[in-house]
Amino acid sequence: MIYSWKKIVKHGLPLLTITILIEIFAGQILQGKQESLLLFPVFLISIPVINSISGNIGSVLGARLASGLHVGYIRLSLKDKEMHDNLLISILIGLITYLILAIVIYFLALFGNIIEDITLIEFVAIIVLTGFLLICVVSLISVFTAFLSFKRGLDPDDMVAPVVTTVGDVMGIVFLFTIIGLIGVGI
Amino acid sequence: MYAKEMVKQSLPLIVFCCLGAIVAGSTLGVMIDLLREIPGLIVVVPAIIALRGNISTAFGSRLGSAYHLGVINADNLWNEELKQNIIGSLILSFFVAIIIGILAYVTSLILGVYPNPLKLISIVLIAGVISGIILNLMTIVIIYLVFKRGYDPDNITGPALATFGDIVTMLCLFGSALLVEVVL
Repeated sequence: MIYSWKKIVKHGLPLLTITILIEIFAGQILQGKQESLLLFPVFLISIPVINSISGNIGSVLGARLASGLHVGYIRLSLKDKEMHDNLLISILIGLITYLILAIVIYFLALFGNIIEDITLIEFVAIIVLTGFLLICVVSLISVFTAFLSFKRGLDPDDMVAPVVTTVGDVMGIVFLFTIIGLIGVGI
Repeated sequence: MYAKEMVKQSLPLIVFCCLGAIVAGSTLGVMIDLLREIPGLIVVVPAIIALRGNISTAFGSRLGSAYHLGVINADNLWNEELKQNIIGSLILSFFVAIIIGILAYVTSLILGVYPNPLKLISIVLIAGVISGIILNLMTIVIIYLVFKRGYDPDNITGPALATFGDIVTMLCLFGSALLVEVVL
């Protein structure tokens, strides 16, 4: 037998506990902003989406880099052209995804009658700017995690997804409130 | 050309996965009254989504490896290897859910919010374990269908679990918060 429940629990618990600690931090930021979020539920709805996009794109980028490093067509260098291409394309895909989903969320909220005092342009600007900052940070973290883990003989496939989703969840919430504050829609 | 191919291949799947997150977000939007009534509930949201995502994608990718190693297949799915994986992921969900509840309670206290610890821990525990059971069952069904068709499970389970995981988790959190609010 290859698998035993004891091993699964023993291997899973340490990384999960660290992840949870960081996610609770993200949750506390939400609690601090709870009043505004309940007044502007459209942003509450957006939070899982913002985090899901960056998590997905960061993980896909990490998986591609991991395959490239394993097979050898990506070199362990910050000047690697193949890595640069992957990085730029991830950011591009991220921008398109944030744009599409911001529009979808806005019209859903419009039909659900929960949108107040905010125009489509303002909302899309807030989500796309947040998304752009987030996807840049998450993609860079993905590259560094993949390279560092590969260098140390760890499998990047195991490392990148948990790291980028966790860091992305916190940064997504921080960037969202920063951009809202900068654009100033009264939240 | 290379960039165009990559965008064409991954954009539709990523947009599809994120539609799951929109359903999850809308569930959060429906929970506004509960979030107001149960202090600390909003704190556990990112953590429980992460818990579910981590445990079920690991479960899915282990089953994918088990398939490649030849220890499970469509005709021999319900065996000891699979049972150990199910038990392992449920025990992990149970413990980590309790840790989430305790951490959310303690950090809230420090920040001057006073949640009801029993309520908070029960909500996370019920939501964590029930969503774990549902997602394990879904994974097994997906894996079975993938085996039958001869696809590689590694390409399918990740995106499928990412999409369904968020929805199932938020619905379970909503359901268990309602239940606990009525019972306790």
